[in-house]
Amino acid sequence: MKCKNIKDIRNDLDNGLVTSLDLFKSSVDKALKYQSDYNCFVTILDNYEHIDNKDSLLNGVVYALKDNISTKGILTTASSNILKDYVPVYDATIYRKLKENGAVLMGKTVLDELAMGGTGTTAHTGIVRNPYDKRRMIGGSSAGSAACVALGVVPFAIGSDTGDSIRKPAAYGGVVGFKPSYGRISRYGLFPFASSLDHLGVLTTNVMDAAIVVDAVKGYDSKDMTSLKDDKIVYLDNLENDVRGRKLFYIKEILDINSDNEELCEIVNNFKEVISKCESLGMEVFPVSMDINLLKAIYPAYITISCAEATSNNANLTGIIFGSRSDKENINEMMMDARTNGFSELIKRRFILGSYILQKENQEKLYLNACRVRRMITSCMNEFFKEYDGLILPAAASVAPLFDVDKDRLSDEYLILDNHLAIGNFGGYPSITIPSGFVNNMPIGINITGKFGDDSLVLNMAYKLEGTMDYKQMIVGDDDV
Amino acid sequence: MEIEKLKDYANKLMFDMDDSEYETLALEFEVILKQMDLIDKIDGIEKVDPMFFPNEDFSLRLRDDEDITVIDTKDALANAKDVLANQIKVPKVVGNDEM
Repeated sequence: MKCKNIKDIRNDLDNGLVTSLDLFKSSVDKALKYQSDYNCFVTILDNYEHIDNKDSLLNGVVYALKDNISTKGILTTASSNILKDYVPVYDATIYRKLKENGAVLMGKTVLDELAMGGTGTTAHTGIVRNPYDKRRMIGGSSAGSAACVALGVVPFAIGSDTGDSIRKPAAYGGVVGFKPSYGRISRYGLFPFASSLDHLGVLTTNVMDAAIVVDAVKGYDSKDMTSLKDDKIVYLDNLENDVRGRKLFYIKEILDINSDNEELCEIVNNFKEVISKCESLGMEVFPVSMDINLLKAIYPAYITISCAEATSNNANLTGIIFGSRSDKENINEMMMDARTNGFSELIKRRFILGSYILQKENQEKLYLNACRVRRMITSCMNEFFKEYDGLILPAAASVAPLFDVDKDRLSDEYLILDNHLAIGNFGGYPSITIPSGFVNNMPIGINITGKFGDDSLVLNMAYKLEGTMDYKQMIVGDDDV
Repeated sequence: MEIEKLKDYANKLMFDMDDSEYETLALEFEVILKQMDLIDKIDGIEKVDPMFFPNEDFSLRLRDDEDITVIDTKDALANAKDVLANQIKVPKVVGNDEM
């Protein structure tokens, strides 16, 4: 089923066919209707709040925010028991900017606890289900954001992405997921998971809407020292740019799969079809080679860096100043009790790993070597980006997994193809996933990653590619759920 | 990885797990450490500078000494469960018999 894009909604509002309040009520009704089956939301708002801004395309448009983004006066839990009653006292910059643009918040979406997971199964309020098949994951950590867009509850939802947390659920849910360059969107007010890898971004049903939202929220923020000066490019105005002569590359070792897995073969075949579509647009696509050992090191380097940073970042969650406080009478016991009961098993396992990595005797071999791998991979990619405009690859190695596949037990047998999106976080590159087809009746996606700062070009190429396919503004219709 | 060592790490992080969770973690550590060994196999890694941020040329200039964002006392205390005289109340630490 097809839905309206933000410009269509804007026209309906301008022509008096609908009011923003109507949109809000309709969105809330849908959210409530789907909540028991899909569990997209931690909080569904009942208060309509709108700051009129007639200059913005987002004026009156309804949206959802991931529940790890600070919203003053609105419960923000990061889907963790330790923050289950936490009500922030300040607004994240991205939330403030959306408010100033006239966008209307309708709910806070479920995530993997503290954004540390890729399954959508670890939230304190339960698992998030895939709108295309309730027996399957939507992926994470931006699970609720992807699912509510795929269900047509909202035209866009904000997510965060530390390894692939916007772009992988986008692939599993048949929607667009865009993570701009590191620092393009201020992280002020985003609960940190791994600060050097964390990005904010957006999930939409089409590339144009992603451009509209990022145009509204990007820019330098004095409250985030890593934020970038505004590039002063209106991404929306550059979507139609000619892409003839643009050069893409793919890493042939990532696709060098000797498998008789039919699903995987179909995903690779879909990728080949997408390459043909790129070529029909006048783009050129080239295979390049990369050291296989470096590619195999992507996932361990990601786990090492992210767990180490997470352990440190979340040390403030003690329940003393905010969060769930224990009734113990000794302060150490209070913290011990709050953290023991406040974190799930998975989070504790990740924290212990992070602590182990940061022990003095392990820092050189584990943490610093992982950071060296990070530089080697980004140096390699930066060399490729001197010659090419973007990297194109399948977004995932499978369709959305069934719930009985335990992806968060760090398997010994893993595929590089399922973890390459972390390259985008290592280098802070702009990276977008768009739907590219169906395998076994489940959506799959293609990913384009560009040079640091080339957000506009990545959106431009994705927009043109999207135009050659039939998956724009696709949602799961009422009859299908 | 010995369970006792894992318990020590957990306790330093101010939490605990049950025995079966430590056993799961011990098994997981074997897998993870094996994966991390892949990093050591990379030629010339010792000559590379570690990379800590994607964009390493951001400004680290100290801000002017001006109040930009000040949280109101009422707001700062809003999420604390126990408050006394505009301060967050905690059990006695200094002079506690157990210390």
